[in-house]
Amino acid sequence: MELVVFVIAAAMVIVGALGVILRPNPVHAALSLVLTLFGVAVHFVALEAHFLAAVQVIVYAGAIVVLFLFVIMLLGVDRTEDISIEPFKVQRPMALVVGVGVIGLVTAAVSSSRDAIGRGNGLEIPTVTGDNDSNVRQIARSVFGDYVVAFELTSVLLVVAVVGTVMLTRRIKTGKGES
Amino acid sequence: MVRLLALDPVAIGDLLWTPLLIIILKVVAIFAIGLLVTMFMVWFERKAIAGMQNRIGPNKAGPWGLLQTLADGIKLFFKEDLLPDRADRFVFKLAPYLAFVPAFLVWSVIPLGGDFSDGKNGIVTWFGEQTRVQLADPPVGILLVLALSSIAVYGIMLAGWSSGSKYPLLGSVRASAQMVSYEAALGLSIATVLLLAGTLSTSGIVANQDGFTNWHVVSTGVVPFIIFLLAATAELNRPPFDLVEAEQELVGGFNTEYSSIRFGLFFLAEFMNTVTMSGIIVTLFWGGPQGLFDIPIIPGAIEGTIWFIAKVLLFLYVYVWFRATLPRFRYDQLMDLGWKILIPMSLGWFMLMAALRLGRDQDWNQAVVAIVSAAVLIVCAGLISMAMKVSRANREREGATF
Amino acid sequence: MLASILAQVPWQAPSIDYHAIAPEIVLAAGIVLIILVDLFVGESKKWVTASLTGFVLLGALIPVLTLAVSDPDARSLFDGRYVIDEYALTLKALFLIAGYVVVLLSQNHVEEGDYYQGEYYTLLLTSLTGMVMMASSRDLVSIFVALEFLSIPAYMLAAWRKRDRKSNEAGVKYYLLGVFASAVMLYGMSLLYGVTGSTLLSEIGRQITVDGDFGGVHALAIVFVVVGFAFKVSAVPFHTWAPDTYEGAPTPVTAFLSVASKAAGFVALVTILYVGVPQAKDVWQPFLWVLAALTMTVGNLLALRQSNIVRMLAYSSISQGGFILMPLAVAGTGDAAGPALQAVVVYLLVYAAMNLGMFAVVIAAARTTRSGEISSFGGLFSYAPGLGVLMTIFLASLAGIPPLGGWIAKFAAFRAVLEAGNGWAYGIAVIGAVNSVIAFGYYGNVMREVWMKPAPNGETRAVATPTSLVAALTITGAATLLLGVLPGTVLRFGDLADLVGAFGR
Repeated sequence: MELVVFVIAAAMVIVGALGVILRPNPVHAALSLVLTLFGVAVHFVALEAHFLAAVQVIVYAGAIVVLFLFVIMLLGVDRTEDISIEPFKVQRPMALVVGVGVIGLVTAAVSSSRDAIGRGNGLEIPTVTGDNDSNVRQIARSVFGDYVVAFELTSVLLVVAVVGTVMLTRRIKTGKGES
Repeated sequence: MVRLLALDPVAIGDLLWTPLLIIILKVVAIFAIGLLVTMFMVWFERKAIAGMQNRIGPNKAGPWGLLQTLADGIKLFFKEDLLPDRADRFVFKLAPYLAFVPAFLVWSVIPLGGDFSDGKNGIVTWFGEQTRVQLADPPVGILLVLALSSIAVYGIMLAGWSSGSKYPLLGSVRASAQMVSYEAALGLSIATVLLLAGTLSTSGIVANQDGFTNWHVVSTGVVPFIIFLLAATAELNRPPFDLVEAEQELVGGFNTEYSSIRFGLFFLAEFMNTVTMSGIIVTLFWGGPQGLFDIPIIPGAIEGTIWFIAKVLLFLYVYVWFRATLPRFRYDQLMDLGWKILIPMSLGWFMLMAALRLGRDQDWNQAVVAIVSAAVLIVCAGLISMAMKVSRANREREGATF
Repeated sequence: MLASILAQVPWQAPSIDYHAIAPEIVLAAGIVLIILVDLFVGESKKWVTASLTGFVLLGALIPVLTLAVSDPDARSLFDGRYVIDEYALTLKALFLIAGYVVVLLSQNHVEEGDYYQGEYYTLLLTSLTGMVMMASSRDLVSIFVALEFLSIPAYMLAAWRKRDRKSNEAGVKYYLLGVFASAVMLYGMSLLYGVTGSTLLSEIGRQITVDGDFGGVHALAIVFVVVGFAFKVSAVPFHTWAPDTYEGAPTPVTAFLSVASKAAGFVALVTILYVGVPQAKDVWQPFLWVLAALTMTVGNLLALRQSNIVRMLAYSSISQGGFILMPLAVAGTGDAAGPALQAVVVYLLVYAAMNLGMFAVVIAAARTTRSGEISSFGGLFSYAPGLGVLMTIFLASLAGIPPLGGWIAKFAAFRAVLEAGNGWAYGIAVIGAVNSVIAFGYYGNVMREVWMKPAPNGETRAVATPTSLVAALTITGAATLLLGVLPGTVLRFGDLADLVGAFGR
């Protein structure tokens, strides 16, 4: 059953990812992205990371892609793009070659060092039975323990990202102007 | 594999026929109850509003017009199914289901009954198997509710966009902005509840609320409840936050181009969302199936369900009442309320509760903690209001130069 | 196992050495303070934010100094995830001072350019916070957060001249390629975590050994991480964003990007290579070798053809990046590890001084010439002798002429390479030497304009240089000269014993 779940979720992820780059219509591409994100969430559930799965759906599918769609609709760029026009002739064949190359490289790397992955490195799947909130507790301990500096500073980063974005979208200052 | 299913105590252990049957039974029951309750809600809303407006309301189909919704549904079924020329066919067909399915799924994590008295955790015994009066009790229950409510945005958004028409698009753009904005306040007010409950599972949250003073509406100090109620109304796109389908401006809003059963699904989803949201409010703040007092004769498990239904009815009435009495917000007022009042307020209240909790854990003087936190909050509120004043002045100046 | 143990142990707040993270705290408080102050000061008093930023940076320097003289040699927080040692402190000081100089450079430019000032300094300060954090990070998570911290504000700063299409192009290019690089790096990091089970670099170093377990995934992970950083330090062939971004961004921001941002990329790269994957040198050495050789050569050759001074400096900064990579390319061979680390740190210090100085001169001169063309600097010496002389000094230092700072840096780099003493090392040394000669071509070209050519348009008004620019020029000029004359001061900073000892091996 775990294999079935994995195969379905993996198929969702891959089909979605292909959709993002292949669908000519931006709205369809964004929806394909949602499919990918859901697939990842399913993987998280299968790995018993329920909290991560829920957050994945809330944050990525629920907020980020909704905002993508919002911007697409608001700007009215939801028309199908003609992707047959190509400013740079070599670009696409090269991207294909590089992409296939990377996939081949990763596949080769993984199959060559199959033994090394997940063995003897302290990674163990925690058990959930009994304690419903072990997920949350574990994340909280990491975030507020070992990684607290990085975590707290991320909040500053969010504030600054807002400041910068507001500034960039603000009307251009009228005044002396610059040469 | 078993661990995957361990959302319900009945599924723990060997998978036998009885537990499987119980689960199937529960699924069917939830589905049927969901539909029935929605039918009732539609009738209830029409009847109640009619009463408030000194009209009679539906009274022909069935006793007191109870079957009116069924009649409407049958009519919708047999109507012609229109597909606009400029519509994006696939998305247009998909959208109603995206709206309808999450509305249904939320039901599965709400504890609909069960005996929570004396720390019994709401587990009941059916046919010799232990289970809960709720379809599933995942460890992240309340986050699942948030996740589903954020999925519901897609239905509305895509419906408007895929119609290939101006007004529905405006409606859906409004909807997405509104729902994403209010989700923040919604989540923050839930955070306060979680702070007290110490768990994300819905049954755990209910179990934490034994006795009236432990109901979260009391123990979190009412403010999160009010914020949640307002934000939830906005999430539902119900009046006074129904700008998504503001008839006077947008014809019918996002579902203008829909007809027949697809429209029916939207209609159903909207009312079902109202019912589920009331259920969530009751679960989070009003003790869910926990009663105020022991009803004589009736056994504990059923008693919980009675209390739950009574409380949900109360909130359904509140929603109808809102709709009948409050005029619609203007769009800038809506955004102002969400971003400048509800979000800072829920965040501030959350910090206050956290500070009090920390003070209690560390044995600090509670009065001092309260005073200091209040002072900090007042300073923050002052800064925010000043910031708003400055930004308004800036906006006006910038506007004037153009 | 982990979860069940965790559930029983009561929560204990981690003990934090607040003295050790005081610089970051000061900076974070400064960011908030500047946002607040910017809100409440009137339009005509916005310069206050610039001064405040300067004070915050100097204020953050105080704990760096007290930490340097304080008792324990190296402070380690969170099981070695965040380490304050001499290496970290030296680079923190570098970043803070470089940031201070950038603020000095920006003050008039930003004020006269009529940009949003408060936000500008907020973003600058945030980026610097990320860099200061980067110097101490010994953990994949902190490194990644620090990297985003320094990059995200930089993307926005690059697009600060909103009316200018080139600036928009600069911001978008930098952003898209930067995010792509982050993604590649993050993939590499997640693979590293997957095969070692830890985000802690020293733990990864223990897990990754050449024998037995080392396989394709390890190699791929390391290559991906290095590629990510290669983008950040604009190493060829991952340099394509740099010239356009440098040209389009406001000049002080360009100075900042080419110095501080690049230095932070190198710092992280060095930390990962030295602490995380030193054993995997067979993977990263050849890779870095190719990068270094390409970066030096391509950067130089393209710089020769530029007529715009900022574009020329962009390519020159790419090729200088190649010189910094050069010792790293042989850092695993023989006894080269120590000298290579020293060479990188010294090069970063010197490069910061001279490149910031160069940009300061360009900004000062452009106040009169209003042009970025190299030919517009013709006859600079005749009407602004001070600027002319300073420009010569910085150019000579960049070219590596003794007795200036740049010479010491190049000397240290070559010495480290020769320490390795094998065929690869000699090969890269020869390439480096040839490139040092080529570099004279374009640096000399600018010098010729300054000294020999007449001023274009007969423009000979004296350049009025604002005080802040004078201060920036003084700091950078003095640093460039001093580092060259007294190399001992800076070579001491890169002492291997302190650094590797502190790296905890």
